[in-house]
Amino acid sequence: MTAYRLPAPLHPDAQVGKPIVITHDGRRVEARDTEPIAVSLLAGGEPIVSRSFRFHRPRGLMCSTGQCGWCECRVDGHPGTRSCTTLAREGAEVRSEHSWPTARHDLFGMLDLGSRWVPNTFYHHRFLRPRAFRKLYLDVLRRFGGRGRLTPGGVGTVRGRPTLERTVDVAVVGGGPAGILAALGAAEAGASVLLLEATEALGGSWRWRASPPPIDESLADLVARVQAEPRIEVLTGTTVLGRYGETLGALGSDAHWRIVARAVVAATGSYERVPGVPNNDRPGVMGARTVEWLINAFGVVPGRRCAVLAGGADARRVARLLREAGATVDEDLVDLRRIEGRDRVRSVVVGGPERQRRLRSDVLVFDARSPNLDLAISAGAAIESRATGDLVARLDATGWTTTPGLAMAGACAGRPIEDAAAATAARETGGAAASAPRVAAPDENGRAPSASWPAAPPQARAVTGSAFLCFCEDVRGRELVSELSADRPDPEVLKRRTAILTGPCQGKYCLHAYAASLNAGAAPRPGWTLPTGRPPLRPVRIADLVRDGSSDADR
Amino acid sequence: MTGRRAEVVIVGAGITGLSLALELSRLGMRGVMVIERGYPGGGATGRNVARIRAMQLTEELCRVASACQAKYERMGSELEFNVLFYRMGYAWILYEQDEVERMREIVAMHHRIGIRSRLLDPDEVLEMVPAFRGGEPVAGGVVHRDAIVHHDAVVWAYLAALSAAGVTVLDHTEVTGIETADDGVRGVRTSDGRIETRVVVNATDAWSDSLNAMAGVEAPNRPYRREVLVTAPVAPFIDKAVTFYRPGEGWFNQTLRGEVVMGVVDPAEPAGHEQRSSWDFLGRTATLMARKAPALAELTVIRQWAGMYDVTPDHLPLVGPTAQMAGWWQANGWSGRGMLLAPYLTELLARQVVGGERPADLELFEPDRFEPGAANAENGDYYARYAAR
Repeated sequence: MTAYRLPAPLHPDAQVGKPIVITHDGRRVEARDTEPIAVSLLAGGEPIVSRSFRFHRPRGLMCSTGQCGWCECRVDGHPGTRSCTTLAREGAEVRSEHSWPTARHDLFGMLDLGSRWVPNTFYHHRFLRPRAFRKLYLDVLRRFGGRGRLTPGGVGTVRGRPTLERTVDVAVVGGGPAGILAALGAAEAGASVLLLEATEALGGSWRWRASPPPIDESLADLVARVQAEPRIEVLTGTTVLGRYGETLGALGSDAHWRIVARAVVAATGSYERVPGVPNNDRPGVMGARTVEWLINAFGVVPGRRCAVLAGGADARRVARLLREAGATVDEDLVDLRRIEGRDRVRSVVVGGPERQRRLRSDVLVFDARSPNLDLAISAGAAIESRATGDLVARLDATGWTTTPGLAMAGACAGRPIEDAAAATAARETGGAAASAPRVAAPDENGRAPSASWPAAPPQARAVTGSAFLCFCEDVRGRELVSELSADRPDPEVLKRRTAILTGPCQGKYCLHAYAASLNAGAAPRPGWTLPTGRPPLRPVRIADLVRDGSSDADR
Repeated sequence: MTGRRAEVVIVGAGITGLSLALELSRLGMRGVMVIERGYPGGGATGRNVARIRAMQLTEELCRVASACQAKYERMGSELEFNVLFYRMGYAWILYEQDEVERMREIVAMHHRIGIRSRLLDPDEVLEMVPAFRGGEPVAGGVVHRDAIVHHDAVVWAYLAALSAAGVTVLDHTEVTGIETADDGVRGVRTSDGRIETRVVVNATDAWSDSLNAMAGVEAPNRPYRREVLVTAPVAPFIDKAVTFYRPGEGWFNQTLRGEVVMGVVDPAEPAGHEQRSSWDFLGRTATLMARKAPALAELTVIRQWAGMYDVTPDHLPLVGPTAQMAGWWQANGWSGRGMLLAPYLTELLARQVVGGERPADLELFEPDRFEPGAANAENGDYYARYAAR
C-alpha cells in the first residue's frame, strides 16, 4: 500500500504519539497511541477496514468525523465501532465486519458481481415456491443480513449516567468557528449561552487547517474569548441527539443532558458530498478535510499519487499540502467519469467524451460538501433547493429557520466561515437569538413535523447508473431511477422501497443526492415532503443511553 | 374535481383500508375508493413491528388471532407477493413467580384449542434466547412458533394488487367534511373535491375519533402513543420475538435484515395524538434492556419513532356498521393489533358490506357494544388489561 508516515505531524498543535501495536483481522499493525484506529490501519497498509452491508464491497476511511460509517469495525468485542473516532490502544484487537475470512480477502466479495440483479425489492416476487420451502428461504436470506456480532452476556459492565438539566437563553449546537462566533454574538447581546461540542475540543474544521481563513481573529483568539466570557458555558464531549419538543437531548461522556433553551442555534457544519461516479465508495475516496487532518494531525499521507478534484479553497489548500508532504498531485481535475481499482482506488478517469484521461492514483480527494440539516429537518423547518441542487434551510436575513426558536449559522446555513462577512453573519445570528421568542413545539395536530418538498432544476446532481447513491445500504443510482416509474411515486414510499436514508448514516450522505435524483426523475406532486427526520441525530450505543436514575437534585 | 361517485369510500390507506378495498373488489364490487391524507402505510401500519402472533392471553382472542395468522400464511399466494412472513417464534419472558402460575393455565388453554405453546424453565429461556444471559434472573417463559412479517412489504403487496384490480387510492388527499342527511351518509368532502357516496368506512384508526366527529358518530376509542427504536443491523442473534410485562412492559426482536427493534412502554403515557419521539424513551428503553439482556447494550441506535394505538375499552376493534348512522362503517380501534387482525377481519367485513349478512367471527367486534361513556383508559398492568375479562 502506498500510504506513508512523515517524521512528525505538520501541525504545531499535534502530539507525536508513542508507537504501539494493534491487530486487524489477526495481522499486526504498527500504530500510535494518539491516533484513531482507522488512521493507524491506513498508515499500516490496511486501507480496507470492513466490508459493506449488502454487496461486501471494500470500505475504508472517508469522512474522519465518525459520520459516514464506512470505517465501522469490531474493536475488542464492541461491534459497529467507528474507527476514525476511536483511539488505538496497545494490543487492541480490531476485526473487520461483514467479511469472511478477512476484509482484504472476503469470499463473499463475489456477491458484488451479481449486485445488478439484487435491488432492495428483489424478494417481492421470489421465494414463494415451492410453498414448503418458504421458511427455509428466509432462514438462508437472514444469514446474509447483519454486520457486527453480539456477545451473549455483553462486553464489560455498563455504567449508567445521571440526567442533568440546564436552562439557558441560547443553546449553540456545534463548537466550530460558526458556533463560537454565534455564542460570542449571543453573549455580547446579554444572553446566557450553552455551547455544545461533540468532540473534546472547540474549533471544528479549523483545528487542523493548514492555513487560517482570511478573517480578523485566529481560532486561538476566538477560543480564548469564549473561555473569558462568563455568560458562555462550554460542554465539550457532548453530542446533541435531538430536539424533543421544547428540549434538546444531549449525551455527554458522564451525563445525559436535558437542555431547555429559548433559542437554539445550529452550527453543525457540513457533510462530504461524494462524487456520483462508478466506484465512488472505494477505499481512497476521501474528503479534502480528511486528508488535511491525516497529514496535519498525524503525519500520515494517504497515498503517493493523489488526484484532487477541482473545487474551492479546501481543494487548493490540500493539494498544496499533499505536495509539501511529498506526494505527486494531479489537481484541478474536472469531469470525473469513474474510479477504477478492485480493492481500492488505483486510477481515475477524467475528461469529456472525446478526450478521456486515465490517471494512476491511490487517492481521490474532493472538497464538495452539503449543509448538515439534521436539526432543521427533524424540527420541521422548511428546506429548499439551490439552483445547484443542494438543499438548504429557508432562512431569513439573520439566520432564523421557519421553525420558531431555531436558527442556523455557518456551513450548515450554507455560509461557511470563509470570509469576514460570513463571520459577521454568524455573530449576528447569535445576537438575534439572544432576543428570540421562546422555542415553540413545531407541530399542531400530533403529526410528526416534516418539511415541504424542495423542488429544484432537474439537471442538478442526480446520481445515476452504477454510482452509489446510498452507501450504508449499497443502493446504486439506477435502482432509484427504476423505482421512479411507479404509479404515484412518493419520497416516503421510495425511501422504504429502496432503503435509501434508512441506514446507519441516517441519511447524512444520501439525502441531498436522493432529493436531486427525485427532482431529476419525477415531477414533484403536491403533498410530497422530505422524509421525516428522526432522532437520534447521531448513532448512539444502548450502553451510553443507560441512566443511573440520579439527577441534578442528587448532586 | 367535482361530480365523482363511489359505491364505497374508505378513509385511510393503512393495512385496514387497503385490505378491505381489495377484498371488496375480489367480491366483484366496483367503485371502491380509498382516500389517504399522507402516503399509503404512513400511519400505524408503517410504524409497528409486525408481529403476527396466534398466542394470546384469552381464548376468544386466540381463536381469532389463529385465523388471522392463517390469513398471513396464505397472503403470499393470494397476492403473489412475498411479504416475508417468517415463523421465527415468539416468547413471553416471565420474571415473577405468579406470572408463571398464570401462564400455566393459559398454556393449558392454548393446548385445548390447538395452539402448541410451551412453558419454559429459566434454563430453557437462556438456551433459546441467549440475549438474556447475564441479565436479571428470569422465572420462566412461554414460547410458540409465531411469526413476524415485513409491514412495508404487506402495504406494497396490497397496493400492487389494488393497482392491478383498478381500484383508486387517492394519496395526499384529506377529508374535510362528511355530508349526511336523515337517511344517512351522502358524501365526502376532500381537499381534492367532493365524492358522492352512501357508504363510508372509517379506517383511520388513531384518527377515527376526528372522522367520527365529522359524521356526528360516537365511539369510545382513544389514541395513545407507542415508541420504537431500531438499531444498526447485526448478524442473526435473537431467534425469538420477545415480550416481557413485569416489571415494566417491553419487547424486542431482530428483523430479517438484522436490525433489532425494541421498546419499553411508558405506563403513564397520556391519551392524545402525538407521533413525535421522546428523549425519555431512549433512556427508559436502554436502561431496562441493558439490565435484562446485557448483550443488547452493544447495539447502536440509529433511529427512533412513534406510532399510534387506537384503544377501545376492551382492547378489541370496532368492525362493522354502526346503528348511529346509516352507511357509516367502523374498522378501527385496533388497540395495537391492526397488523395482525385487519387482513382477515376485513375479508369478513367485505362479505358483510357486499352480502349484508354478518359473519359469526365478527360478533366480538360489534361497534355499538359499549355503553356511552365506557371507561377507556390504558391499563398499566398487561394481564389485567387483556386477561381479566
